Amino acid sequence: MTAIDAMAAPMPAVAEERPVWAAVVPFLLPAAVFYLGLTAYPVVRTIWNSFHHVLPAGDDFVGMANYAELWADDTFWRAVRNTLTWALAAPLLEVGIAMLLALALYAKVPGARFLRIAWFTPVLMSYVVVGIIWAWIYNYDWGAVNVLLRTIGLDEWTRPWLGTTDTALPALILVTTWMWTGFNMVVLLAALHSLPSEVMEASELDRCGWGSKLWHVIVPLVRPTILNLLVLSFVGKMKIFDLVWIATKGGPLWSTETVSTYTYKRAFEWSTFDLGYPSAIATVWFVIVMAGVGVLTWALRQRQKLEY
Amino acid sequence: MTSRVLFRAAAMLLITIWTAFAAGPLFWVGVISLRSTSEFMNSPYALPEAWRFDKYVTAWTSSGYDVYFVNSLIVVLSAVAIVTVVGAMAAHCLARYRFPGNRAVYFLIFSTIVLPPQITIIALFQTLANIGLYDTRIGLILVYAAVQLPLTVYILESFFARIPADLFDAARIDGYSEWATFWKVAFPVAMPAIATVVILNTILLWNEFLYAVVLIVDDAKRTLPLGIQKFMGDQLEDYGMIATGLMIAIIPVVLIYAFFSEKLIQGMTAGAVK
Amino acid sequence: MATVTLRGIGKRYPASAARGSRDAPPAVRDVNLDVADGEFFVLLGPSGCGKSTTLRMIAGLESITEGELAIGGRRMNEVPARDRDIAMVFQSYALYPHMSVYDNMAFGLRRRNMAKAEIDRRVEDAAGILGLGPYLSRRPHALSGGQRQRVAVGRAIVRDPEVFLFDEPLSNLDAALRASTRQELTRLHRRLGTTMIYVTHDQVEAMTMAGRICIMDHGRVAQVGAPLEVYHRPATTFVAGFLGSPPMNLLPAQVADGALVLGDARLSLPFAARPGPVTLGIRPEDITIAGEAALRGEVVAVEPLGAETILALRLPGIDRDVLVRGGRNATARLGDRLGLHADPGALHLFDAASGQRLEPGSGME
Repeated sequence: MTAIDAMAAPMPAVAEERPVWAAVVPFLLPAAVFYLGLTAYPVVRTIWNSFHHVLPAGDDFVGMANYAELWADDTFWRAVRNTLTWALAAPLLEVGIAMLLALALYAKVPGARFLRIAWFTPVLMSYVVVGIIWAWIYNYDWGAVNVLLRTIGLDEWTRPWLGTTDTALPALILVTTWMWTGFNMVVLLAALHSLPSEVMEASELDRCGWGSKLWHVIVPLVRPTILNLLVLSFVGKMKIFDLVWIATKGGPLWSTETVSTYTYKRAFEWSTFDLGYPSAIATVWFVIVMAGVGVLTWALRQRQKLEY
Repeated sequence: MTSRVLFRAAAMLLITIWTAFAAGPLFWVGVISLRSTSEFMNSPYALPEAWRFDKYVTAWTSSGYDVYFVNSLIVVLSAVAIVTVVGAMAAHCLARYRFPGNRAVYFLIFSTIVLPPQITIIALFQTLANIGLYDTRIGLILVYAAVQLPLTVYILESFFARIPADLFDAARIDGYSEWATFWKVAFPVAMPAIATVVILNTILLWNEFLYAVVLIVDDAKRTLPLGIQKFMGDQLEDYGMIATGLMIAIIPVVLIYAFFSEKLIQGMTAGAVK
Repeated sequence: MATVTLRGIGKRYPASAARGSRDAPPAVRDVNLDVADGEFFVLLGPSGCGKSTTLRMIAGLESITEGELAIGGRRMNEVPARDRDIAMVFQSYALYPHMSVYDNMAFGLRRRNMAKAEIDRRVEDAAGILGLGPYLSRRPHALSGGQRQRVAVGRAIVRDPEVFLFDEPLSNLDAALRASTRQELTRLHRRLGTTMIYVTHDQVEAMTMAGRICIMDHGRVAQVGAPLEVYHRPATTFVAGFLGSPPMNLLPAQVADGALVLGDARLSLPFAARPGPVTLGIRPEDITIAGEAALRGEVVAVEPLGAETILALRLPGIDRDVLVRGGRNATARLGDRLGLHADPGALHLFDAASGQRLEPGSGME
C-alpha cells in the first residue's frame, strides 16, 4: 500500500473480524431501544389508531371510517391548504431574500462578521417567544406595523393583522421569513465563500453585469445549496405548530389552521376523547410529507443529505 | 462605474433595513422587559425611564419562572446528556464497523429527521400514560432524547467516519477493548463535533414546545415555553411582565450564542452546504 | 525477542464481501516465512501486493483465514492483538491527537497496570534514545513530521515487545529526513536486538536496512533472501524488474543452436539452456560500451544524472529500449551508434512463460 492508495481506500478497522457483532450490539443497543420504543413504535401505533376509535373506555375497530370522515372534513382540507401555502411560499421568500443578503455581505461590506451573527439571532428563539413578540407587533392599537403606517399617513391600511382572515396567514408567513432568512443567509454565504475565487474573477474579466453574473455564474454554482435549503424550509413549514398555537390558535375562522394545530385540537382540545381520528390525520400527513420530500429530492436530483 | 456605486448603495440600504428588521423585535422586547406595564402602555416605543431590573427578580420569585427555569434546565441537560452518549455510541458504531444492515440502519435514522411530529405524538401520549411516565419530567426527558437522536447520530457519524482507522488499530495493539477504545480514543477525539451537537441540542430543546405541551400538564413540571404560555394566558394585559419572562427564556440562549456562535452556526448549517 | 513463523498463511474474502472489494485489503496466498530471532526482516513489494495485509495478520489486526502463524514458537492465529506481545508503527503514525507525547507512549503501558514509576522510567528511556525529552508534554499537532514519527517509534519501544512491526513508517517523511531516519532505525535495531518486520514499497529502504528481504507479488512470496542475493540472483522477472534503479533490462530472446538470439544479434549462452523462447535479463550496470561488439544500437535518450549518465539504446529487432549505465564521463549523444558488451556471467535467463529464473541444469530435461 502506498500513501496514496491508503488514503483512497481506508481499510475498515475490523473488516472481517468475526466478533464484530459483539462490538456492534452494545454500541447500537441503547439507540435502538430509544428509536424502537419512542419513534418506531409510536409511528406504528398511530397508524393502528387510525383504523380505530380510540377512547379511554377502549378501542373499536372502525376500518376506514376515520379516513372517510377525513375526506369530507372541510376544516382538514382548509388546514392542508394553509400548510401547503406556507410550505411553498416561505421557502421561496426565505431563500430569495437570503440570497440577496448573502450577496450584499459577500461584496465585502464593513462589519460583515457582526451582521452575519446578528441576522442569525432570530432563529435561536423559540416559536413561543417569537409568537408573542409578533402578536404584539401586529397589535391593532400599538403594534409596530400599524404605528408605522399611521406615521406615514396610511391610516386606512391599518388593521388587526392577525385578526383579519385575509391577512393572518400572510402575516405569519412573514414571521417565519423573519425568523429563518438569517439562517439561510449564513448557509448561502458559506457556500459563496467556498466558491473558487478564479470563477468570480473570470466573470469580472468577462465584463458581466451584476445581474448576469448572479444569474449565470453564482446561482448555478450554489444551486445544490439552494435546493437543499428549499427542501429544509419546506419540511420545517409542513411541521409548523408552536407559532400558530401561540399567535392565533389557528384563527380567525381557520384562516391560519395548520395540519399540526388541527391534529392537536382534535386529539387534545376537542372533548371527543377520540384519538383515532387525529391519528388518521397524522397518518395522512405523514404520507404526504414523506412523499413530498421524496418527490422534491427526486425532482431536484439531489442525492445529498438534508439537514434539520 | 456608476452601476458599481449604485450597487453598493443598494446593498448598504438592504443591509440597514434588514438589520433593523432582524434585530428590532428582540431589542424592543429587551427594553419592555425593563419597563413597567403602565409606562409601556403610555408610550410603547420609548426607552426605559428607570431601568427596572427588579422586574427580573419579581418574575423569578413571584411569577413561577424559577420553577419553569429549573425544570427546563433539568429536562434539557438530562436529555442532552443522554442523547449525546447514546447518539455518539451509535454514530461510532455506524461509522466504524462494517456489518450487514449498517447503511439501512443509518438511512432509517436519517430519514426520521424529516418525520412530522404528529405521527408520533399521539401514540407517545398514550404510551407514556400506559407506563406511568405521562406528566413526568423523566417521560419528557426520554422523549426529548429520542427526538434529537437522529440529528445527533447524523452529525456525529460524519465526524466519526473521518477518524483514521489506524488510530483504532493502534489502540487495539496498545491492548484496549472496543469499549475502552470508544471512551478513551474516539469520544475525546470527536470532542469538537460532540460540543457542536451538545450546544445545538441544548438550544433546540430549550425552545421546544409541542412535545412539552402534550406531555406535561402539572404547573410544577412546566418548562419555560409552557410557563410563558401559561403566564400569558393568566396575565394577558401585563405586557411588561410577559416581556421579562420572554427575556428570561431568551437570555440563556443568547449567552450560549455569544460564546459559541461559530460552533452553533456550524451545527445548524452542517450538511446544508454541499 | 522471538522468531516469527508463517506456514501457508493466506487471506481470502468471502464472496459476500465483494461489495466492499474496493476497500478490502489485497488477498494473500500461501506465504511461508521464517523470521529469525533478532532479525531485521523486510516485506517489499508494490502497492496491492499483500505485504501490509501480511503484516496486519501478524499483528492480529486482520484475521488469518488459512495457515498458521507462530511467534516465539507459540501458535498465534486465535490470540488477540493485545496478547501477541508485538508493537506496531503505522504509516500515518496513528498518534492519539488528544494526548501529550508522554501519554501517547504511556497509553499502552497503563492498560497493562504497570506501576507509575516504571512507566515514567520507560517513557523517559525511550524519549532519551529518540531525543524526544523536551517534547514530552506537547500534543502531536505541535510536532514536526519527523518528531511525530519518533513518537510513533517511541510508543513501540516503551512496550519492550517481542517483535516490532513497521508499516511504511518513513513514507510520510521528506527525502532528506527519510535517509537519516533509515540510519537511526538501523542503529536502533542494533541497540535493541529485537526482531523487526518492516513493510515498504521503497527498495532503497529494503536494501539498506534489511537482514533479509521478502519480495511479494500479487499476494504471493516471489523471493526471500539477503539484499545482495535477491539483487544479483532474482528468482523471477518480477523481482528482477522491481529491484534496481534503473531496473534490469528484460528482453525477449531465443535459445537456438547453442546460442542466444537477441534481435539480429547472437550472444554466447552463459550456460547450456533448452532451446526455445526465454527472457534475457541484463542489469544496466553490467553493460559496457565497446567499440566493436555483437550488439549495436542507436542512442535514443540521454539522462545525465551527474554521478552517472543513463543511456537508452534501440537495438535492431527488439521492440524495447535497452538501458545502459554510462560513467559520469559518457559522451554519447542522441543518434550515436554504439557497440554494447556484456559478460556472459552477467546475463540472467528467465523462462519466457512463467518468468522463473533458469539456472545451469534447470533448463535441461
